[in-house]
Amino acid sequence: MAQAIFTQFLTGFSIVAILLIISLGLAVIFGVMRVINMAHGDFIMIGAYVAFVLQGFLGLNLFWGIPAAFLVVGAIGLVVEWGLIRRLYGRPLETLLATWGVSVVLQQGIRLIFGPELRYVRAPLILDGGIHVPGSNLPFAYFRLFIIILALALLFITYWLLYRTDFGMSVRAVNQNRPMAEVLGIDTRRVDGLVFAFGSGLAGVAGTILAPIKTVSPIMGFSYAVDSYMVIVLGGVGRLLGTVAGAAVIGEAETVLAFLYNNVIGKLLVFTVIVLVIRVFPQGLFTLQRR
Amino acid sequence: MIAGLSRKHLFFVLVVIAALAAFPYFGGDFRMNQLGLFLCFVMLALSLDLIWGFTGILSLGNAVYFGGGAYFVAMSLKLKYAATNPARYGSGIPDFMEWNGLTEVPVWMRPLESIWFAAPAGVLAMGLLAFVFGFITFKRHIYGVYCAVITLAESVIFEELIIEFQAYTGGFNGITDYGSFSSNTTFYWIILAVTVFFFWLARKITTSHFGMILQSIRENELRSEFFGFEVANYKIFVFTVAAMMSAVAGGLYAALNGIISHQEIGPLLSIEGVIWVAVGGRGTLIGSFVGPILIKGAESLLSEQFAWMWGLFVGLMFIVIVVFMPDGIVGTLLRRARRRRALAEGRAPAYEPAVVQAEETPTV
Repeated sequence: MAQAIFTQFLTGFSIVAILLIISLGLAVIFGVMRVINMAHGDFIMIGAYVAFVLQGFLGLNLFWGIPAAFLVVGAIGLVVEWGLIRRLYGRPLETLLATWGVSVVLQQGIRLIFGPELRYVRAPLILDGGIHVPGSNLPFAYFRLFIIILALALLFITYWLLYRTDFGMSVRAVNQNRPMAEVLGIDTRRVDGLVFAFGSGLAGVAGTILAPIKTVSPIMGFSYAVDSYMVIVLGGVGRLLGTVAGAAVIGEAETVLAFLYNNVIGKLLVFTVIVLVIRVFPQGLFTLQRR
Repeated sequence: MIAGLSRKHLFFVLVVIAALAAFPYFGGDFRMNQLGLFLCFVMLALSLDLIWGFTGILSLGNAVYFGGGAYFVAMSLKLKYAATNPARYGSGIPDFMEWNGLTEVPVWMRPLESIWFAAPAGVLAMGLLAFVFGFITFKRHIYGVYCAVITLAESVIFEELIIEFQAYTGGFNGITDYGSFSSNTTFYWIILAVTVFFFWLARKITTSHFGMILQSIRENELRSEFFGFEVANYKIFVFTVAAMMSAVAGGLYAALNGIISHQEIGPLLSIEGVIWVAVGGRGTLIGSFVGPILIKGAESLLSEQFAWMWGLFVGLMFIVIVVFMPDGIVGTLLRRARRRRALAEGRAPAYEPAVVQAEETPTV
């Protein structure tokens, strides 16, 4: 039993990794623009369809899907920001509703193009098989290992972008005080657009690596998006550490509890704990800003 | 005048009510049932208008209360139906229980056999749930988008719970075949009466001092608090009342529709409700009639031929309304009318912000 739980715990790391990629995008967007993107789940879904198209029509393997999805979904994000979100500046709740409209349109659009049926994407052949981890009763798949490494790499890139580049400095400045940043000559609109595109691109990458694990369908993104909203609520905004911690807690707890009881009970317990935690820490576990 | 309506407006409201009441005589059974269901949606929209349009709490999970009330009533009718028609499923218990290996109705579910217990119990249970939820979130100043995503998650989880525990809820298929009140003119009138009562109640709440405080919370939560109002208590109260209204609407919906499924408790209906209010016009109450009847009516007319396009159309329409017509249909008409009247009387039109929206309180 302990062995099985340990196995689940290991598997949980790959779930955490995916959740981390999704939430990183969401958290960066939310931190800068105070906007929850309801179409985030559909950006994930489009990333998965990019992988499907590359593999099904062009015969390229999944590795190609990662940069392709980042670019395609990032471009869609740029268009959405430019065409819609920028027009709703300062109205966070309405932005949320408008992006829900985007979500509906994207889902219907994909359904019109690809049909409602489920699609399948293969993991790259190099990543077949797995390594044996002592104390676990199942081999740990190479693909899951790859996901974890990718997530760490993306986390590092995000960190580097935010804390080691000039652009990151202006992002953090806008995050902390938008009017002041504007006064100091930072082009906040450009920051908004690029941050939104970057966050959307991350969702696209998450979709690509989700494609071999889950079946690809127009509604596949929603539950991941909801989980990542919870990561934001739990982890707070303003620090990457909060996002990492939120993703780790939610991903691991859901995986292990889903094994011990079942999927839904796991989710219910995690949700209850989150609600109780924000009762004590209303601004999330790690945050720089008051809510 | 009644509920703060002027004589002219009262006359208009009475004409609309009379037309709705006379509808069974010229509309036919099919349209009457449809209109009955729409009225249930109107009640859901009214409750959402109270919490979102007037208080500024965006809840993306109010279908939980609608669906909760609906499930209590559907379950009760189903238990009764199975018990009184034992030949139908073999052993006098609902079919989905039998499929899932139950041999008798669980003890804790027995009281639901009486609709006179189940319906009020459903409403009270949903009120309690909303109270607890509101107590936890509003007391700690969880608002704005945080509140929206938490209520959304709540709705997602309730939908999954319903699907998971199929022995007790009918699971994915929902509860069906329990004998409904469709094509029953008296029941239609009951629904209409409850709708009118809720409209009156919502008018009463929003035109009172209490309603003014709700609106001040919407305009600026922090400032209302500095004025000495215990903002959280107002929010909890209105959230609980709205949840109970939704539960009543859901119960009536279940009884009329004759089928209830996880979709009625999940995020889809929750967000659809918000769309109705946004399209009709939030903070107007009348918009809660216009929104659902217009959208649901158009859906039933159009989606049969253009099922593919319908989703696309709803999404686009929603984006356009939110961006270009934030006051919704009724709100925009009302604003124009007020402006025209002011100009005709030679006054400068009163300043009205185009968007009435709870702003994020500045970081302290």
